[in-house]
Amino acid sequence: MNIKSVFAVLLTVGCMACSEKKNDKLVIGVSMLSMQNEFIQQVADAIEKSGKTAEVEIIIVDAERSSLKQVEQVESFISQQVDAIILNPCEFEASSPAVEKAQQAKIPIVNVNSSTKSKPDAFVGSDDAESAKMAMELIAKHVQGKGNILMIQGYMGQAAQLDRERGAKAVLAKYPDLKLLASQTGEWDRAKSMSLMENWIQSYGNDVQAVFAQNDEMGMGAVQALMDAKIKPKVYVVSIDGIQDARKSVDQGFLNATIIQNAEKQGSESLRLAIALAKKQKISQSTMLIPFEIYMGK
Amino acid sequence: MKKIFLKSPTGGIFVALVFVCLLFSGLTSKFFTPMNLSVILNQVSVNAILAFGVTFVIISGGIDLSLGSLLAVCGVVVALLSQQGEFPLAFAFLLTLVVGVLMGAFNGFVVVLTKVPPFIVTLGTMTIGRGLALLLSNGRPISDLNESLNVLGNGTVGGIPIPILFLIGSFIICQIILTKTVFGRYVKAIGGNEMAAFVSGVRVNRIKIYVYMLSGFFAALAGILLTARINTGQPNAGLGFELDAIAAVIIGGTSTRGGKGTITGTLLGVLFIGVINNGLDLINVSAYWQQVIMGGIIILAVVLDLVYQKLKK
Repeated sequence: MNIKSVFAVLLTVGCMACSEKKNDKLVIGVSMLSMQNEFIQQVADAIEKSGKTAEVEIIIVDAERSSLKQVEQVESFISQQVDAIILNPCEFEASSPAVEKAQQAKIPIVNVNSSTKSKPDAFVGSDDAESAKMAMELIAKHVQGKGNILMIQGYMGQAAQLDRERGAKAVLAKYPDLKLLASQTGEWDRAKSMSLMENWIQSYGNDVQAVFAQNDEMGMGAVQALMDAKIKPKVYVVSIDGIQDARKSVDQGFLNATIIQNAEKQGSESLRLAIALAKKQKISQSTMLIPFEIYMGK
Repeated sequence: MKKIFLKSPTGGIFVALVFVCLLFSGLTSKFFTPMNLSVILNQVSVNAILAFGVTFVIISGGIDLSLGSLLAVCGVVVALLSQQGEFPLAFAFLLTLVVGVLMGAFNGFVVVLTKVPPFIVTLGTMTIGRGLALLLSNGRPISDLNESLNVLGNGTVGGIPIPILFLIGSFIICQIILTKTVFGRYVKAIGGNEMAAFVSGVRVNRIKIYVYMLSGFFAALAGILLTARINTGQPNAGLGFELDAIAAVIIGGTSTRGGKGTITGTLLGVLFIGVINNGLDLINVSAYWQQVIMGGIIILAVVLDLVYQKLKK
């Protein structure tokens, strides 16, 4: 018996073991954008937790921000004949083939958190533009519809940056006396945004009433720079995501508000829909938007 | 006067720096103020310290791509050690610097023992370092740090922000090491002609390891400063910092082929990048254009420098 045939035997036995297991439990394959991201990590945790309660087997893989890798992962889910797939897409266009392939194989697929060009069987997430609208409305309310605003953008060209910019500008258009003095990228990064804010303090100084940062990290950087310049009390800062650090800062009265994206619910709802689809049950709505919450402290 | 100026190896970049300063002064009255100049120096301090360290590596003919990751690891380590009242701050700093030096030594040993090009070795440690930083911090920012750490990052002594004092201190130390010590001469000798240096009795391997340790030390110092400045330990801090630091070194006239280079040049290179970043924010150039302009100016500066070197001959 040569090595090849030993492998063949092992493989067959292995597959038999797999398919036996499959009979008593549903298997859901999950491909996540990046486990290095705190928010994505929270969504994955929620899926895993709800999977335990629902007694289904969850296989979670990390696409490490590569849509190519993500498509390959979905292909391997298809060949393992999972009962349903949850996809947290890396990219709008490039992750689309993953959705198409699953549908060709007649395996239900649910997108969570962000969308793809090809329409999946169900989508669970939040509208990024909506979060920016909420943040901007808070600012507009605080300055009573009149004042100068600075916007710190995420990584230019990414879906989240584009959507949040669109949402913010929609609100600005409503208030003619709200003036966007400048908008620059802080690349989602605390240190970069801190430097940016320091530069802006030099050029705009006392003319600024509010700052909108497209994520919490950048909001915290701006707050730090404003505090060092001792003008934080005069400037209202709002950011998005609701990470732990930001909520703590809101509690301490530094950051003024953060818009919380509900990771827990995105995870648990996407799994609920995936299970329903795997059991061939009818779902009432194929697009499920989880509302944001405003956090302004305890 | 003209002669001295032309003779200086950093003449080209100096002219370029003066040029961008004049340009921004003309474009906005907010640029050439004592306050803004202090902001610029404060902002470039982290990049400057990284760049000083890697100048030695590049002069010796090597490269260190792991700087940004080493900075992140050390930033996380110092944050963990200085969480509310855990250890005295001095102990936290010391241990963090040791971590940086050891990681640098690892780079050096692998380069020397395996003869794998430093580009590949440090590319590997860059990924390892990033992973370690995420592991140590669980992928989350570490906050609630010792209050004194914040003073280090954002306080002043006699009106001068503390990071600027670190910048000046590191500059003086590196300048002395490179120009006044035997070690400095050996680094240049190895970068100029490794074989010749070896034949004339320079312990090439040992010097190379020291060089990477030095780079690790300054990466750790930069990590401490960055953590102090943003008042949190960030596993994702310093992404791409190695490129900014290396760019500053090259703009400052250090040869990519090794053998030649100055700390003053590196400082001018760092200031050049810092001034452009600050100036573009002040005059509010669109975020897309900023990157295009930044890249264009960097290429222009290096071309200017080359023209200068020709003029000298």
